[in-house]
Amino acid sequence: MGSNLLTLTFLIPLAGSLLVLLVPKESAGRACRWVNLLTSLATFGATLAVWSGWSKHTGGGYALVEDAAWIKAFSIRYHLGVDGVSVALLLLTSFVSLGGSLASWNIEKSPKGYHSMFLLLLGGMIGVFMALDMFLFYLFWEIMLLPMYFLIGIWGGPRRQYAAIKFFLYTLAGSVLMLAAIVLIWIKHGTFQIPEIVALVKAHGGLFGEGAEGLRIACFIAFFVAFAIKVPSFPFHTWLPDAHVEAPTPISMILAGVLLKMGGYGLIRMAYPFFPTAAATLGTTIVVISLISIVYAAFVAMAQTDFKKLVAYSSVSHMGFVTLGLASLTPEGHNGAMYMMLAHGTISPMLFMIVGVIYERAHHRDLDRFGGLAWAMPTYGVLAAFGIFASLGLPALSGFIAEITVFLGSFQSFPRLTLVATVGMVVTAAYYLITLQKVYLGDTPAVYRDKAHYPDVSRRELLVLVPLAIVTLWMGILPDGAMSIYRGDLEGILEGVKAIAGKP
Amino acid sequence: MTALGALLPSILLTAGVLAVLFADAAAKGRRPLLLPWISGTALVAVAAVAVAWLAGDRLGDRVVLGALRMDAFTAVLTLFCAVAGLVSILATLVGDGNSRPGGEFHALVLCAVVGMSVLAAAVDMVTLYLAFELVSITGYVLVGMRRADRLANEAAMKYVLFGAVSSGLMVYGLSLLFGLAGGTSLEALRAAVVSGASSQPVFVAAVVLVFAGFAFKVSAAPFHFWAPDVYQGAPTAVAGFLSVASKAAGFAGLVRVVLALGAQPATAKEPIASFLPWGSPVAAVLAVAAVLTMTVGNLAACRQKDLKRLLAYSSIAHAGYMLMALAVWTPNAMSALVFYLVTYLFMNLAAFLFAGIVVRATGSSSIDSLHGLGFRNPWLAAAFTLVMLSLTGIPPMLGFLGKLVLFESVLREGWVWFAVIGLLNGAISLYYYALPLRRMYLEGVAEGAPPVRLAPGAAVLAAVLVLPVVAFFLWWSPLADWARTVVPSLRIGS
Repeated sequence: MGSNLLTLTFLIPLAGSLLVLLVPKESAGRACRWVNLLTSLATFGATLAVWSGWSKHTGGGYALVEDAAWIKAFSIRYHLGVDGVSVALLLLTSFVSLGGSLASWNIEKSPKGYHSMFLLLLGGMIGVFMALDMFLFYLFWEIMLLPMYFLIGIWGGPRRQYAAIKFFLYTLAGSVLMLAAIVLIWIKHGTFQIPEIVALVKAHGGLFGEGAEGLRIACFIAFFVAFAIKVPSFPFHTWLPDAHVEAPTPISMILAGVLLKMGGYGLIRMAYPFFPTAAATLGTTIVVISLISIVYAAFVAMAQTDFKKLVAYSSVSHMGFVTLGLASLTPEGHNGAMYMMLAHGTISPMLFMIVGVIYERAHHRDLDRFGGLAWAMPTYGVLAAFGIFASLGLPALSGFIAEITVFLGSFQSFPRLTLVATVGMVVTAAYYLITLQKVYLGDTPAVYRDKAHYPDVSRRELLVLVPLAIVTLWMGILPDGAMSIYRGDLEGILEGVKAIAGKP
Repeated sequence: MTALGALLPSILLTAGVLAVLFADAAAKGRRPLLLPWISGTALVAVAAVAVAWLAGDRLGDRVVLGALRMDAFTAVLTLFCAVAGLVSILATLVGDGNSRPGGEFHALVLCAVVGMSVLAAAVDMVTLYLAFELVSITGYVLVGMRRADRLANEAAMKYVLFGAVSSGLMVYGLSLLFGLAGGTSLEALRAAVVSGASSQPVFVAAVVLVFAGFAFKVSAAPFHFWAPDVYQGAPTAVAGFLSVASKAAGFAGLVRVVLALGAQPATAKEPIASFLPWGSPVAAVLAVAAVLTMTVGNLAACRQKDLKRLLAYSSIAHAGYMLMALAVWTPNAMSALVFYLVTYLFMNLAAFLFAGIVVRATGSSSIDSLHGLGFRNPWLAAAFTLVMLSLTGIPPMLGFLGKLVLFESVLREGWVWFAVIGLLNGAISLYYYALPLRRMYLEGVAEGAPPVRLAPGAAVLAAVLVLPVVAFFLWWSPLADWARTVVPSLRIGS
């Protein structure tokens, strides 16, 4: 192990993905889900090992680095490594996927294909968070698109075809622009290595040499748009509600829990450190985009009658805090943004699972047709209320810490604009409380009293929901635990950005 | 290198043509399996000669017979067209149409490859035109070979009409260039260009006319209209052959002509560098054609309901990407073009191979005939999916590497907007490349649809084509390096 730990970590799910294909057809349904679960467990174990390996690493920079020449003609290297930011997101990825794997237990349609795609997706996600060569990063980034396309397109709801191709086209359109920027950096500086590029920025005060600010801004925009589509920020968010509504529950969990975080990760790892001056120049624009995302998506969420669409728009709204915090260029803002990614990464999968639980029983998600479910399914009601309160930012739960930290940073840089975000918080509280009232409280219609069709959460569902709830609670009470993983490295990145952006 | 050595591919292929015709006549209409063996052997021999040329480095980089230039570029294109011919012959055995075509089919394919290999080497306008016509005329007959098929007849007719008009335009343009140059060799033309002929209005007219001929051959807009009908009507293997080999040969001829049109002194060491400056009318024409071709191809493809028409528009779009390299016209861009052609060879031949298999099994080339293929034949559908993704340029497929290298060469010259248009075109193309994916996977299993079987031979052929498409990204440094070695010898003079 040791030096090849990172390779192993992304190869485990890829191997599992192939293993699923070898399962004989007769026992496919049961065997595949076990392969998936065990592979996901092994991947989770591997990321824990990465965590411990990383925490033994001293001296800053990237840990567990694997670096070897690969495509010499283009000086592309097989370069993997992790810092605190990657470790935190790797843990999130494998943890949420484990839940997703359990939530996939009763997939009946073509189980081999499903579980194979699921694990391929997991491998791609893991790879994105550890690639330090931009070519490699781009490979992993795009490799995820295909399984996601099929997972939504084959196992999704009625409008799955439209949602799947929309997701694919949006992401691809964004990433080809990023590819152009990556290639431009390579042409000018002859390297695809992220650490080398960051060092170049530090040494020369920016890429592309003196007087190329226009090109720097253009490249920053290319990176920003590619990642903003993933985050997703207004006005690039429209694929998300479609994708979420149509995707099967476990895929929604992964989409919200992990895929959106790749946008934030890309901003932290590449867009900001590569082009600090451009990021500072466009700071206000990014804040405005974030505020529109927060407030507009909250209002749209309020107008929804589909429970899942409501949660989807709430994701857009919450992820607005990530870009808001990053734009502030303060330690608190960046800490908060990252904390929001982790908090949202656990709360939103929980909410999607909560929607999935009732959808599986009722076969509809119409908010107006539910009522009093807390009395019919008490455990479910408690967990749902927990998820809803976590998402609306109740103190002592992780969402609150994230929002307050982002505010602390954002107020320093944009005191007046940030006030607008409070509107979003109020609206968020409103639509969640209305939802709670409509779905879980009040009188229970007779249909939902039928114990045979509306049993309380099963043990498997509990196994998905409870760990997510525990993490949410832990992150809300002891924020230092999760924060300590990424804080040092994140602030290091920010200092680099500020050192350059401060003297344009 | 002696003249005989330079003509070796043509001699081998002509011998193959004769052997095939004799064997066919001797078989008295029984169409023995011997025919593909003969034509296959001839093509393998030609490929071996081309490989020996490349490996032995004994081409001499000189003009033989005053008309053919023997350099690495010639060798590469000869190899390329021989491989494409071989794959197409094998594809007829497993695809739609007559799986045991007569001797004339084999003879025509071999003749076409003769024309292509000569076209790639031609540095004399008359030779160039003759080779061009040889490729065209064999193409017309190949398309119309299924005499009883109305669609094939119509396609052949369209191909002939478009071909005749554009070849007329081209020969007129060549005659004007002959008048300006005072000779038929491309070197004479270049001498005239260097001494200022390019400032005359008639020069621009002549260039546009010659480009029109080549635009027809590589199916570039606005001379692309024949492609969808022809590809749809022709046997699928022939369509694949035309879309790959005929297009590559067209590009090879175009490269030689553009070399002659440059204003750089013939003595310069670097044959290509900075030879079409930004404001050059030749570069402008090529750049406009590139943007037009890829955009028209991609947008029109989105509305197709027929798989072969879809692939036709896709091949038009790819011609647009390749024209980008010509418009940029640096050594880097030329090696990117060679690299791109290699990636295109594998993925496009594979796409047409699969189309042929599906057409044969279902009797229809409609995209709807793919319905539920992902469940009817998972292996075939998976391979087809990978090829479609490769054509889109999704990593880590071969097509992505081709695009990466190509766009790198465009961006390197600072043509950022040009590259962005190309990249966004690539993103648009996902929409229609995903149409077959939708039919195969997203719409469930078709009730009562005929089974689609993959014969062992077809499976081997498919594996040979698809494996590089999927696995090449693991180690593609050698191909990129090799593509760079092809370009330095590329000239039109001795």
